[in-house]
Amino acid sequence: MVPFRVIWRNLFGHPVRSLLTAASLVVAMFLLCVLRSLVVTLDAGVTEARTDRLVVQSAASLFVTLPENYRGKVAAVEGVKHVCSWTWFGAYYQRRENFFAQFSTDQDTLLAMYPEMEIVAGDYERFRLNRNSCIVGEALVKSYGFKLGDKVPLIGTFIQRLDGQPWEFEVAAVYRSKAGTLDSGTLFFHHEFLKKAREEKLCTGEEGVNTYVVKVADGNDPITVASRIDSLFENGPQKVQTTTEAEFNAQFVSMIGNIPFFLSAIGSGVLFAIVMAVVNTMLMASREQTRAVGILKALGFTSTTVFLVFLLQAITLSLLGGGTGVALALATSDALRDALGTTFPNYVVSHDTVVVGLIVTVVVGLIAGLVPALKLAKLNPVNALRAEQ
Amino acid sequence: MALVPLNYNLRSLIQRRTSTFLTALALGATVATVAGVLALQQGFETLFTKSGRDDVVVFLRKGAASEGESAFTRDDTRYLVNSITEIAKDASGKPIAAVESFLALRRRKMDGGETNVPVRGVSPMSFDLMGDRLKITSGRTFQPSSDEVIIGAKLAGRIQNTLVGDTIVFNMTPFKVVGIFENDGPAGSEVWGDVERIIEALDRPLFNRVIAKLADSSPDALAAFNARMQADVQSPCEVKTEAEYLAGLTGMLSGLLQFVGSILGSVMGIAAVFTATNTMLSAIASRTHEIGILLATGFRPIPIFLSFMFESLVLGVFGGAIGCLLVLPVNGIETGTSNFATFTEVAFAFKITPQVLTSAVIFSLVLGLLAGAWPAWKAAMMKPTEALRRS
Repeated sequence: MVPFRVIWRNLFGHPVRSLLTAASLVVAMFLLCVLRSLVVTLDAGVTEARTDRLVVQSAASLFVTLPENYRGKVAAVEGVKHVCSWTWFGAYYQRRENFFAQFSTDQDTLLAMYPEMEIVAGDYERFRLNRNSCIVGEALVKSYGFKLGDKVPLIGTFIQRLDGQPWEFEVAAVYRSKAGTLDSGTLFFHHEFLKKAREEKLCTGEEGVNTYVVKVADGNDPITVASRIDSLFENGPQKVQTTTEAEFNAQFVSMIGNIPFFLSAIGSGVLFAIVMAVVNTMLMASREQTRAVGILKALGFTSTTVFLVFLLQAITLSLLGGGTGVALALATSDALRDALGTTFPNYVVSHDTVVVGLIVTVVVGLIAGLVPALKLAKLNPVNALRAEQ
Repeated sequence: MALVPLNYNLRSLIQRRTSTFLTALALGATVATVAGVLALQQGFETLFTKSGRDDVVVFLRKGAASEGESAFTRDDTRYLVNSITEIAKDASGKPIAAVESFLALRRRKMDGGETNVPVRGVSPMSFDLMGDRLKITSGRTFQPSSDEVIIGAKLAGRIQNTLVGDTIVFNMTPFKVVGIFENDGPAGSEVWGDVERIIEALDRPLFNRVIAKLADSSPDALAAFNARMQADVQSPCEVKTEAEYLAGLTGMLSGLLQFVGSILGSVMGIAAVFTATNTMLSAIASRTHEIGILLATGFRPIPIFLSFMFESLVLGVFGGAIGCLLVLPVNGIETGTSNFATFTEVAFAFKITPQVLTSAVIFSLVLGLLAGAWPAWKAAMMKPTEALRRS
């Protein structure tokens, strides 16, 4: 039988030290959970990608546009249910620092293409019917205070109005994304609007669209449909490359560089530092508890019990601090997402992260407690009792 | 006022070496992590800022911040090169100005995955403007008006079909790789070919920028010239020195890395300070009796305070040294990231500059001082009689 009261009392035999160690653990585990959540959020576009969506892009470059008439041709391919175009607009709101994603799109198919798009304010129909309107993500409402009916002025960079005026889109609806495949910080407007401005030579920029997203009809193999689309344009004028949504999103993740490497390097730095800290604390504690161990042994407690008492003490300390850190990460999930604004609009601390965080916490306690616990367990009670207090 | 001999503290650190070592390791890991992020920022920034010239100017379409956003028609470029009198002329009377195109093309990396490789179409004058900053290290340069390209040394071998003798296909047109070139700036990870051939192959009849040498490149003349070109009726432009242009491109990533570094530094720093405080508290607790003796023999509280601050500072020095040793191996490691301004891959290396090491050591010393303050205060405030009574 393990005397749990002894564990508890030992832990608070030196309250300041336990508190400081626990506080370091709070900070470290909070940081680790946040780092992991950032990676998970970045990867969500890949891990949560739907298998029934394909992306058609130019085989040469994402920055080479595809002709407008590809839309109809792709839609006519066997196994294609919907087609929705995306074209990067690259403008900014008031100042260059206020940068967020804007795309022109096909208002008739956007909502059908993305069931994860949930309208939280306004009316999608209103957006669909009004050519000068837009639909904005919730993160933009939080960051810039856009309201329904507002006319959002956007200053073009590579697509500029020739009269020098900013573009204006009326906010018709606000959406929230329920999955990592759609960003909650994007503004969508009618592609027809942009196409018309270009046809009437009111603005700069090239004709065409960046990508066509395709919804594969039920019962069709996406890979077969993709190769049908690719072979359709094999001889130009623009060769296309059709990929799954997961592959398409993966290229953006890999573009940022070796993020998993950077973050795991930082993570190991944090972990290493915290393990050293807890080992240090447990060594100090073991020195002080040598006499107490002598008493336990003299009272007839076995070496195994002494070992467990000390190990559990380390794990309890670790859990007190680490657990709080994990809980803190979980509790600040929403606040941090809002603070990160449009950079990580889908940031969330997942249950996986909480579980991983707690496991790491227990392992840190185990590592820190193991060596001193073994040393104490092996002590001869006579020598232990003689130790200085 | 007699100071406590420094030897007292140094011996104590040696006496408690396990604890000293573990604390220094915890501080070191913290310092190394922050220094690693700073090294990344330095590597990225040096690549862009050191390579920009002050006497070469970049013309972009008004409102554009990068080449990717800028676009000129053929008429625009003819007008800019031939009608702008501020542009310097060479010995034969030709304006020293080059028209360039720029596009990120999707390429397969040798180790799998895809990336966006910047492909630049250049004019003969581009080479004159580069001067000896661009060196052909193997093969030769491309023949004007031919389907040949040269490859930046940082790309060669990392991307498929980028070695001399390979054939690289842009859209439907095959180009022959005839040479590899070196450049310390971002051009070192670009592909260069004849601008006319490149835009034809890509079926994209647009130019992205004009670079030129001005007859008068003093800051005042440039500011006036920029103001004039912003308001130009035929082709309104932004005119910046190349140095300014490149510095502008790095702003976002550089700022992001500095931000990450400072957040990490403060958060990890808190944890490290707590660890070192624990060590110092324990060091003082086990020496209560000795502190009593010091006080009884006439040492004043301030020297005792300073004595323990010194001990903590030495911990910080150890931490800083370990941190520098831990971070040194990353120096020179090549990595790639996206230049967000142009969405293309740039290769650069971690760079441990003296600045990084200095910040690392200072950071560690500050951590040591912060950690020592409270325990040293506690030691200085002890009552000699009570302290002496403790065994």
